[in-house]
Amino acid sequence: MKTTKTTSALSPHLIEEIKALPARYPQPRSAVMPALDLAQEELGYLTPEAMTEVATALQLDAGYVEGVATFYTLFHLEPIGKHRFYMCTNLSCTLRGAEEIVEHLRDAIGVKEAGEVSEDGLFSYEEVECMGACEYAPMCRVDHRYHYDLTNEKVDQLVAEKRHPAFPPVQARVAPLPSPPPGGGGSELPSPPRGEGQGEGLKPAKPRKKKASA
Amino acid sequence: MLTEWFFKPNLHTLDVYESLGGYSALRKVVTTMTAQQVIDEVKVSGLRGRGGADFPTAMKWSFVPKDHPGPKYIVVNADESEPGSAKDRYLMENSPHALIEGAAIASFAIGGHQAWIYIRGEYDLPYEMLRDAIAEAHAKGYLGDHPFGADHALDVRLYRGHGAYICGEETALLESLEGKRAQPRSRPPFPAVKGAWGLPTAVNNVETLSTVPWIIRHGGAEYASRGTEKAKGTRMVTVSGDVQKPGNYEIEIGVTYRDIIEGLAGGMFPGRKLKVFWPGGSSAKVLPASMIDTSTDLDGLKALGTMGGSGGIIVMDDSHCVVKAAARLLRFYAHESCGKCTPCRVGGNWAVRTYDRILANEGSQLELAILERVSDGLQNGRCLCGLGDAAGWVIESTMRHFHDEYEDHCLRHTCNVGKALAHA
Repeated sequence: MKTTKTTSALSPHLIEEIKALPARYPQPRSAVMPALDLAQEELGYLTPEAMTEVATALQLDAGYVEGVATFYTLFHLEPIGKHRFYMCTNLSCTLRGAEEIVEHLRDAIGVKEAGEVSEDGLFSYEEVECMGACEYAPMCRVDHRYHYDLTNEKVDQLVAEKRHPAFPPVQARVAPLPSPPPGGGGSELPSPPRGEGQGEGLKPAKPRKKKASA
Repeated sequence: MLTEWFFKPNLHTLDVYESLGGYSALRKVVTTMTAQQVIDEVKVSGLRGRGGADFPTAMKWSFVPKDHPGPKYIVVNADESEPGSAKDRYLMENSPHALIEGAAIASFAIGGHQAWIYIRGEYDLPYEMLRDAIAEAHAKGYLGDHPFGADHALDVRLYRGHGAYICGEETALLESLEGKRAQPRSRPPFPAVKGAWGLPTAVNNVETLSTVPWIIRHGGAEYASRGTEKAKGTRMVTVSGDVQKPGNYEIEIGVTYRDIIEGLAGGMFPGRKLKVFWPGGSSAKVLPASMIDTSTDLDGLKALGTMGGSGGIIVMDDSHCVVKAAARLLRFYAHESCGKCTPCRVGGNWAVRTYDRILANEGSQLELAILERVSDGLQNGRCLCGLGDAAGWVIESTMRHFHDEYEDHCLRHTCNVGKALAHA
């Protein structure tokens, strides 16, 4: 989220990084999403200028790059909060109360609707489609991590943690949970992969670097 | 079988994975087998694609032309985004090396050297785990120019998606991999002939490829001894919704949904009754509670007009309204339509508006008729891919089994069930 002082939207070293991307793929065009990713990481969201600069660096048409950016959910064309909550409200999560959780989150971060950024610039949220963690519904994704089995209390704690990073971290159970293997031939599983208490209390996963570029 | 090692701590590291027997399949393949032998072994196993299409894996590989001179690719569909399905995430988080090994074996089988894992952008942790695992495999010399000393270069690479359900469709995924908007291609040409970057490609699901090392280690016949007559082996299911113990489970194909829902997933909450379930992701036609004894046999499900799909079993009890659930899913399909084919682009939104009117108590006989008409218009191959069909199936199957609820909403403006659902 740092801003650049130069007239260009993206910093020179990032432009260099983007120019090096096409060589990684069988055809240079494949670099467009990784490049937009880098740009978004630097600016927080994709401005028209940033997309034009990405296009120039990749020798693509600016309209084409914008066309790609607008197609995918994870590219943002408007400013977003420093911590973006992606709230799943698809069927499995909704059956388990996702709507109420979203309502609670709105109050907790002080916004009225999806996409609105809180006054301090810290938070925004959007409702997204299934993120593939239906067994832990309701769930959300914040700052590159999933949070499972959400309750109002967990949402409060999560928001507090993001607001004051020193706050004791929520037990984001990001480590995969081994499930017992099927007995013998794998026909029956005597015990479930998630039992009592699996939602909480598990040790937060191995620390991993947050940066993620393809 | 897929989850046999999932007990072990740190299975995601190469050391642990290898100590249990991991990478022995890849070693065997590159040092002692020919590509044809690998395909034959997988053919014996009867393995069929677990992404939803249920296509025989060995046959898919054999469609890739053997004499093609240039590069050929395995593309791994790790864009799991079918509502209700989470098993690929679970597999990748627990055992990333199994997928890498499977992808490398598949590359060898089609005579290719490079596999691309297209992983959805929301899967940060699986992405990081795969990235680290690939680096480990390279460092050990299990991937690279001479894996296990053999003369067949193998590499696995990652590509991140950025949030689009349609990328789960294989040709849309290929478009996305090429840096375009993810819109399905018309076929032919099929990916086996003209796939990623215009080159021969086989697109396989995460679970499918994660199964392959087991098949090589234990033999195709051993795998085929499980399952039903025609649908062999085991598969992963994700149970979600109104059950006591939602989770990912490996089942032998052929057990019934009662075994899964009431057995593995712990059954309903006290005082609630099963109303309906989606047997294979939200795109599979729903089955009412009376059909809980249906077998997970993939062919049997097809005969019923539904499918085992991606294995996402969504369970709904009698405290929820089917019309509202269908409305929620239609919003999803309308939102995720890529917009290329008119029936899907227009039909989905049409259905959403109709559901909105129904749920606002403005429904009538007309709305029922519109839904039937739209449902029909979405189906039967009118679009390039299955997204439109799936949306149509939601409308059709819920209307077929729960017409009384639709009539309550449309004609009497009442809802017989308690708790309100999304945006109702």
